[in-house]
Amino acid sequence: MSGLAGLAALRRGPSLRVLPLATVLGVATLVAAGARSPVRLEPELSWSAPSWAHPLGCGEGGVDLLALVAHASLRAVLLAVCVALVGFVIGCPLGAAAAVARGRLERAVARACDLVQAFPTFLLALVVLSAVRSPSRLDLGFVFALTAWAPFARLALAQTRVLRDQAFVEAARAIGVTPARVVVRHLVPNLLGIVAVQLGAAAAAVVVSEAALSFVGFGARHGVSLGVVLDQGVSAMLRAPHVLLVGAAAVFVTSVSLMAAGRAFDPTFARKARRN
Amino acid sequence: MDRRGRGPAPLGGVHADPRSSGGGLAKSKRVAGAVLGRLAEAALVVLALATLVFLALRLLPGDPAALVLGDQSSEEERAVLRGKLHLDEPMWMQYARFVRGLVTLDLGESVRRPGASAAARVLDAVGPTASLASLAVLLGAVIGIAAAVLGAGPWLGERRHWVDRIATAIAATPLLAFAPVLTFALDARLRVVPLPGDPEAGAAGLVFASGLLALPLAAHVARVSRAALDDVARAQFLGVARAKGGSHARVLWLHALPASIGPIITVVGTQLGALLGGAVVLERLFERRGLGTLILEAYASRDLPVLEAAVVFSGALFVGAQQVAAAIHAAVDPRVRR
Repeated sequence: MSGLAGLAALRRGPSLRVLPLATVLGVATLVAAGARSPVRLEPELSWSAPSWAHPLGCGEGGVDLLALVAHASLRAVLLAVCVALVGFVIGCPLGAAAAVARGRLERAVARACDLVQAFPTFLLALVVLSAVRSPSRLDLGFVFALTAWAPFARLALAQTRVLRDQAFVEAARAIGVTPARVVVRHLVPNLLGIVAVQLGAAAAAVVVSEAALSFVGFGARHGVSLGVVLDQGVSAMLRAPHVLLVGAAAVFVTSVSLMAAGRAFDPTFARKARRN
Repeated sequence: MDRRGRGPAPLGGVHADPRSSGGGLAKSKRVAGAVLGRLAEAALVVLALATLVFLALRLLPGDPAALVLGDQSSEEERAVLRGKLHLDEPMWMQYARFVRGLVTLDLGESVRRPGASAAARVLDAVGPTASLASLAVLLGAVIGIAAAVLGAGPWLGERRHWVDRIATAIAATPLLAFAPVLTFALDARLRVVPLPGDPEAGAAGLVFASGLLALPLAAHVARVSRAALDDVARAQFLGVARAKGGSHARVLWLHALPASIGPIITVVGTQLGALLGGAVVLERLFERRGLGTLILEAYASRDLPVLEAAVVFSGALFVGAQQVAAAIHAAVDPRVRR
């Protein structure tokens, strides 16, 4: 019976929205687990077009593009999900606490969200990365986390403004629950569903930023990144257009599938909210 | 259209603005106060960014002199450079010098090009980036608003929903993915646009690059102004304008659009950061001169004074543009003046 219920759940909207991401991750994992290496060079195959041996063709120095794209998108998604979760964990309580505190703190947090959200992440990344010799993935994650909390905090703030005057919050206050506990036990659980929708968009933004950074030459040192594929593609645009197309398609598919997966939280939690 | 991001709508007319009855003097005082407040906030943000730049280069592990000169450099060479960059002074003196440099636009000399001041190199690179970004904002706003009006008007019939769909699709596609592909398609097949890195590109190159940069902005503007137009469409004054016999086009352009200009300016303001990041990518793609290429070059060669100056200046440019957007918003829409 439970299997049938699972099947029925699979057919409903939310899981369909996870499908693109699941496909991307599945294919990438299969390829990455195989024998192909994203760093082995075969100079005689430089810029060669797609063939049976190399389904996506080869890039600069004969690197196998299929392996490169698979490894790069796996790493990008991992980084993006970590950053989005960090932003979620910081931003959600921050926004809720600010809305509960009201007054000056609330305005300050709202203004900070506005600024940070509109701020060129690129510049911040340059500032921090310029101080390290060759950036690692941890450095990149740190840079993106610096600004990732803002959209979550903003959403949590807006939602808490609605929730803070409701009876259950007032009741909790009336029986002497401390404000901190009100935020953690009563407000944040009620925010999760709505704020979680932002996870997908935040993760997709990280994927694109990471690719853009390595495209302009600020990437992680090992050179396994979607931006590197694009960089190679641009430099050999007329000679080997397949490299450019593969890179652009990989960035597009990875970011859009993350965005779609984020939307999966939408109806699930909306349904739950209706039931309560 | 997604409207969750916006706050609750103000209850228009329920509480009258108590300050609206003030005299001319009070008004000019208020305006001066608002301008001062904006300036103070902008200065604070720039100072915060500059401090972050300052601290990142000095507090993070690693010797900046070794970063600049490389691992093979001798201790004497590093000591000379440290003296030149004032890295051997106590931290508070360095900071004081740095802040004074910000105010006097004197952030030291380029390490890689002796004789050229960092500020001069930055000012040299501002022109191309500023023209790229401002042309992109202009194009993005015009295309976006035109698309929204087309989508809100009756001219396309049922097909007008395609405007929304296309805008959503473009807004979801990263610039990084479509800019190179579009360039390739127009270059390799049709040869209508200059190739990346073509020094002869000139005006055509500028227009093409800013057109690419404008596309995502136009999509965002189209979505937001469409939502704003739909909001305004329910207002009474539009019914009055229609009843007076105004055409669809006249009502949309003359009555609805000015009333919904606020959200449009706001979305342009929030997209400025992305625009600046996109400008760096496009400058790299087309090998155009500009702030982005200067920053990349300074980063690659570890030219710390130039890097500091360029990053702080781009930050200031961004904050300034955002404050201008907010000021325009306040000027055209009396509801946001507070």
